[in-house]
Amino acid sequence: MEWKDIVPVIAGGLVILVVALVVKPALLGEPIASPGPAPATYLPPAPLPAATPFPEDGEAYTRTFRWTAIDGGVQTTTVQIPEALFLEHRETLRFADPLAWGRYALAEEDRPVLEALARRIAPAVGNPEEEYLRMMNVVFFVQQIPYEPDNSTGSYVEGALPRYARPVKDGIEYPRYPAETLVDGKGDCEDSAILLSGLLDALGYDTALLRYSDHMALGIRMEGFNPYYVKYTPKYFDYRGKHYYYVEGTNFYGGKVSADSPVIRGKPFPIGDTEDGALQSVRSETPKIIPLRSIPAPLEYRIRPARLPAGGA
Amino acid sequence: MDLKVPKLPKIAIGWRKALIAAGVAAAALLLVFVGWTLFIDYTEERQVAVFGSHVAASEADLFLVSGKVSSHMRSRPEYPSVAESDAVMREFAAIAEYGRGVAAYHRQIVGADEVPEAYVEAQSAYIRALDHLNRAFSLWSSAAGAYDAKAYAAAGDHLAGADRAWKDYTAAIDEYDRELRIAEEGGEIPPA
Repeated sequence: MEWKDIVPVIAGGLVILVVALVVKPALLGEPIASPGPAPATYLPPAPLPAATPFPEDGEAYTRTFRWTAIDGGVQTTTVQIPEALFLEHRETLRFADPLAWGRYALAEEDRPVLEALARRIAPAVGNPEEEYLRMMNVVFFVQQIPYEPDNSTGSYVEGALPRYARPVKDGIEYPRYPAETLVDGKGDCEDSAILLSGLLDALGYDTALLRYSDHMALGIRMEGFNPYYVKYTPKYFDYRGKHYYYVEGTNFYGGKVSADSPVIRGKPFPIGDTEDGALQSVRSETPKIIPLRSIPAPLEYRIRPARLPAGGA
Repeated sequence: MDLKVPKLPKIAIGWRKALIAAGVAAAALLLVFVGWTLFIDYTEERQVAVFGSHVAASEADLFLVSGKVSSHMRSRPEYPSVAESDAVMREFAAIAEYGRGVAAYHRQIVGADEVPEAYVEAQSAYIRALDHLNRAFSLWSSAAGAYDAKAYAAAGDHLAGADRAWKDYTAAIDEYDRELRIAEEGGEIPPA
């Protein structure tokens, strides 16, 4: 055997080495084709157009309210609600989920009416000790709005059930916007709670709706409310470390206005009193707390960095 | 019958030539073996490098998603108006779509990688992590949709599901890290 016999063998070996070390890496080194479109990019949401304000010079409902304030004096005030606002509310579908009812209390279209009314009912006070009286004047105002259930046609200014009154197991459900309650001049427990929370929110108080199995009331956030003059232990409910004291928006066991009227008037009801009412649910249940200003949020949202394989980019 | 059998030529080869031929054959076999081994080694290294680059690209994109999520969660107002709440949830929905798209894209890329056997478990864990993350973002999206429909209880349920998917994601990342150490260091590594 001579060199001419060995050379092809060596050349073959070299070809294998070149393929293994040069050609294959060159092929694999090329960019890998993507399996589809480019990776997702963040697309910010489009801004919504601003709502058109209701004309101030349009038709309006005028309502006069008379109530007993915390000092025992009888007060009177007049409220004007734009008719267009009221009619728009009446033609708005109601939310079936009570957790969303805080939206009624915070409805921005109703805000100017509520802010003006709250300032009239409870003018700003000079010292912090009077803040409680200020708050109670708002509470008393709403508690004295006559109670009338949702299934009563007399509860509505039109004398008929609104289009979006929802049939439920126990009758009819129609949570009202604050402006609707003011125009109707009546309402049931959730309407009073919504109006009261809207008014107190307009004054800067932190409130929540308290939902019982057959009732809705209000929770107002306070720290250490325990006045010396009350003969009960004020009841509060804890929500994420905040104390919301029970506030009744209605007082419907005070007696009927007249024998043939379904309208019931009641007496003012103090903050934190859950024992003096007629409802067993209020005395015994722990309500579902519905904060007005809650945005659903995940608890878990931190992305964990993963270690990269050695040799990775 | 008279058959003529041709005479085969007599092979005259000496011991020396036979040894050289055997030596050349052995050298050729050795070359083939070395070449093949180098080829396989290189291919595996290359596969790991490609897998690594894809994980790195995925992590880089997820880092951007993470920044967006963290910034969003930090900027949520404590006492928002209804309009502000709605704007927050619209942004939340947009981030959910972004995260879902990123997770789905990289899951497809990493899932298509061929990796050496030692890295199969790590790759599988990483793919599972992206699947869980994708599911979590999808549930965020559903929650935003439910919020938009004013079905707050349903939104809460979707977010609770998203939290569970997120925990599965972090568990899968832990498993990926463990499997990667096993692949790189060899042998069993006790769970952390």
